[in-house]
Amino acid sequence: MARGEIELSKLTKQFAEVTAVDGINLQIPGGEFFSLLGPSGCGKTTTLRMIAGFEQPTSGQILLDGTDVAYTPPHRRNVNTVFQNYALFPHLNVYDNIAFGLRRAKRPKGEIRERVGKALELVQLAGYEKRKASQLSGGQQQRVALARALILNPAVLLLDEPLGALDAKLRKALQIELKSLQQEVGITFLYVTHDQEEALTMSDRLAVMNGGHIEQVGAPQDVYEDPETLFVADFLGVSNLMEARVVSAGTEACRVAVDGYELETRGTNQDVIGAAKIVIRPERVELEEHGAPPGPNRVPGMVERLVYVGSAVQVIVRAATGETLQALVQNKGTGLGFEQGTPVQLHLPPDALRVLPSGIGDEPSLKGEEGQDAAEEAEEETAAAT
Amino acid sequence: MYRRWLWPSFAFPGVLWLVLLFVVPFYAVLGVAFGTVDPILFQPVPIWNPLNWNVGWLTEVINRLAPGGIWFDVGIRTIVYVALSLGLSLLIGYPVAYYTARHAGRWKGVILVLIILPLWISYMMRMLAWVNLLQADGYVNRFLIFTHVLSQPRDWLGGSASTVIFALVYGYIPFLILPLFASLDRIDRSHLEAARDLGASRWSAFRTVTLPLSKTGILGGAVLITLPMFGDYYTPNIVSSSPTTSMIGNQIDLYFHGGPQPTIGAALTIVLAAFLTILMLYYMWSIHRAQREVGAVGAL
Amino acid sequence: MTAVAEPRATPRSSAFVRIRGWLRNPWGKPRFLVLITWAYILWSIVPVLIAVQFSFNATRSRTVWDSFSTRWYWGDPVDSVWHDPTLRHALVQSFKLAGADVLIAVPLGVLLALGLARWHGRGSGVSNFIMLFPLVTPEIVMGVSLLLVFTQLFTFIHTGTFAQILGHVTFSISFVVVIVRARLFSIGRQYEEAAADLGASPFVALTRVLLPLLTPAIVASAAVVFAISADDFVISQWLSKGGPTDTVPIQIYAATRAAPLPSVNAIATIMMVSTLLIVTAGFLTWRLFTRGERRTGTAAEDFGGAFNIS
Repeated sequence: MARGEIELSKLTKQFAEVTAVDGINLQIPGGEFFSLLGPSGCGKTTTLRMIAGFEQPTSGQILLDGTDVAYTPPHRRNVNTVFQNYALFPHLNVYDNIAFGLRRAKRPKGEIRERVGKALELVQLAGYEKRKASQLSGGQQQRVALARALILNPAVLLLDEPLGALDAKLRKALQIELKSLQQEVGITFLYVTHDQEEALTMSDRLAVMNGGHIEQVGAPQDVYEDPETLFVADFLGVSNLMEARVVSAGTEACRVAVDGYELETRGTNQDVIGAAKIVIRPERVELEEHGAPPGPNRVPGMVERLVYVGSAVQVIVRAATGETLQALVQNKGTGLGFEQGTPVQLHLPPDALRVLPSGIGDEPSLKGEEGQDAAEEAEEETAAAT
Repeated sequence: MYRRWLWPSFAFPGVLWLVLLFVVPFYAVLGVAFGTVDPILFQPVPIWNPLNWNVGWLTEVINRLAPGGIWFDVGIRTIVYVALSLGLSLLIGYPVAYYTARHAGRWKGVILVLIILPLWISYMMRMLAWVNLLQADGYVNRFLIFTHVLSQPRDWLGGSASTVIFALVYGYIPFLILPLFASLDRIDRSHLEAARDLGASRWSAFRTVTLPLSKTGILGGAVLITLPMFGDYYTPNIVSSSPTTSMIGNQIDLYFHGGPQPTIGAALTIVLAAFLTILMLYYMWSIHRAQREVGAVGAL
Repeated sequence: MTAVAEPRATPRSSAFVRIRGWLRNPWGKPRFLVLITWAYILWSIVPVLIAVQFSFNATRSRTVWDSFSTRWYWGDPVDSVWHDPTLRHALVQSFKLAGADVLIAVPLGVLLALGLARWHGRGSGVSNFIMLFPLVTPEIVMGVSLLLVFTQLFTFIHTGTFAQILGHVTFSISFVVVIVRARLFSIGRQYEEAAADLGASPFVALTRVLLPLLTPAIVASAAVVFAISADDFVISQWLSKGGPTDTVPIQIYAATRAAPLPSVNAIATIMMVSTLLIVTAGFLTWRLFTRGERRTGTAAEDFGGAFNIS
């Protein structure tokens, strides 16, 4: 039997006039590291809280291993949470924090001692039993929160932006630790974050949410390389959006016209006619010398700016089509070969170009922003008030 | 997570208590003030039905307070005492609060404790202290004679307006300083530094940045001490033996304890409460807001 | 910053100029503020210290110091606090009322605080309003209303200790609510959610998680209630039926209008010291319990929260 399988069916949550979660459907098989990714107010935290049981859905189902738990109180669900601020009980020490759930389940003392010991080892905090939460660093607190949740062998572990309060380097280290922990323990991790890099790094699959609904679900690679909507394309990494007009569309390949240049792109299953947008990732943009032999999918341009980011160089190019594109050139130590203000030829390989229908998620951050802010405020108000 | 009826049921006992022992009593005041007086026993006869209320006594009280009435002087005097006390308290209290909040440095904790201390010392004790000092042979007279300011002991407690005002200031100023301090303490240092950086002198920075930002503290503290001051009767009684310094509170006290005419006392109480309503409502709103603020910070 | 201006080259600057320069020091702390503050503190506290001192006076004078004696506390066989029944009863009565006030008002207030903080349905606004009212009502208004309700409506309750207790609790509850609710807001609901998440029933979450976290506020509010009850004059006087139901503040009040002995200083000192001890204990407990949590501002400010309205 699949352990930790989550299915959300038409799950909706409304706060006053704001719909924070709008009838989403989602299936997460057991044992997966799954992320909910999206900007503030997109509904990801509300969804998590509904799965945990702290919010009751307005309608819809939350199926945990086949059983609808949407109206079960949180203390009866086989789901545990790592909170954003860890919520370690200040009046208890590390041992008592971790033992809390076991004591509620009335486990015998010996068993508790043994399991807490193992949990501490798992998160590499053996010896810290007597400390209070305030005596721990952020990273240590987070690990105690993890131990406290995992010790109960939940079917699913919910993590609400647990790395948000930590500095960048620690965050990166803990991302790796969390990922390997999940693989070691083998249960479903449902991870909420607004950091797309984090989601891409850690997840087996992820869902991009916006304005209360899911824009796309898939493995990191698919979502990144093959965005299905403008929002997804723009939210994950740099998208290099260009306005285009569809000349012909097909599932194998498409042809679009961008300001007099005709480009071949990847095929698409979507319905694209007329005005559309095309997307290419910066690392797929190839830079050729000005004067290189012309060919299909080549556009001349002018280097506007170079931005050195350590491992690579961002080359900002103004294409002859009028748009500004960013190319990412890995730093191979041999120098770039292009200077600011010099002409260059852009090669946009067809299999790196995607066509997206214009209008889906047009200006998503603006349209949904008021709704998002309102949803966020409503969430915080009920958070402070309840 | 909790049952819906849980929180209201927690609140129920307290609310019930307050309704029975706060709201209902207030209605009792209305009932008596708008009631009648038994002509034989001189006992108040309350009228509970608003439709039957007798405004005779209320009118009587208002007439007495109006110019030409026997209480007009008392009313004016009360307002003057409160205004002067408030003014003096602000004059003394603001610099103290300001210093403690902004310049006290390592002394801040100590000074704060010393400023809060009087709040926990009984008001009566503090008045007693000054009554002792202001006796004919008390330290104040002895000091003033010693420094040749006075040639003979002065009667401070015989009925002097300045003594009453002094006592009011002494008694209430700690309650003003604390909210003043709180609001001054809250002002971000960087605002002032920005002002100085942009060329403001120390005084100008104070006037244009600190003062406006401490307005809520001033207002809050002012309301906090003005409300009880208007009802104060014990302070004039303690530091003045003459009825020439009596305040409105004294009149109310008189009609309940001096000679039994509770109806007039009740009517006067109503007038006083009505007069103070705006202040009271403002005070309630600011407490409510302060609690919300804590909540907003706490939820983050 | 521009260079500091050179001090004026007056080699024989007068004392006045030097003092003025010290006062006007533009880069240092403003001196006159220092003066005012410390002058205020002295003015505020020294008179009370003198009154305490005179409670140990060997003679009957409250104004002329003779020598140290504990006569007024227990020495004098007639007029000391220990021997004078009026004073003794006043002391007992004050403690009785304060104790009863704490025992009743704190539980009611804690429950009310919890209820009001989390209840959002119908009636919560009105209830909140009702709770705030005693805080803003002048005491004389409350005294009048309580006296009238006991003489005209609830006539089965007579003036005296029971009525005084009822009155004290009535004005104390709101203080408890304000203090506890502030603490509730700063705790937030995260710990109860974590507890529920880990399998705690709502009852356990409340009693094993929330209540321990509320303890400093509960203790602090108990200390505050004791202090305001011990200090109360108006309500106690209006609901007193004389004699042994008079409290210490009432005795002091009566004494200041008659010709009192230092024994009244003594009784006032006893009350003051008791209150200060209890308040300090409450404050220290607050500090102890919130030691680990990051707090903005000093603990003294948190504790003075009952009077903080802006």
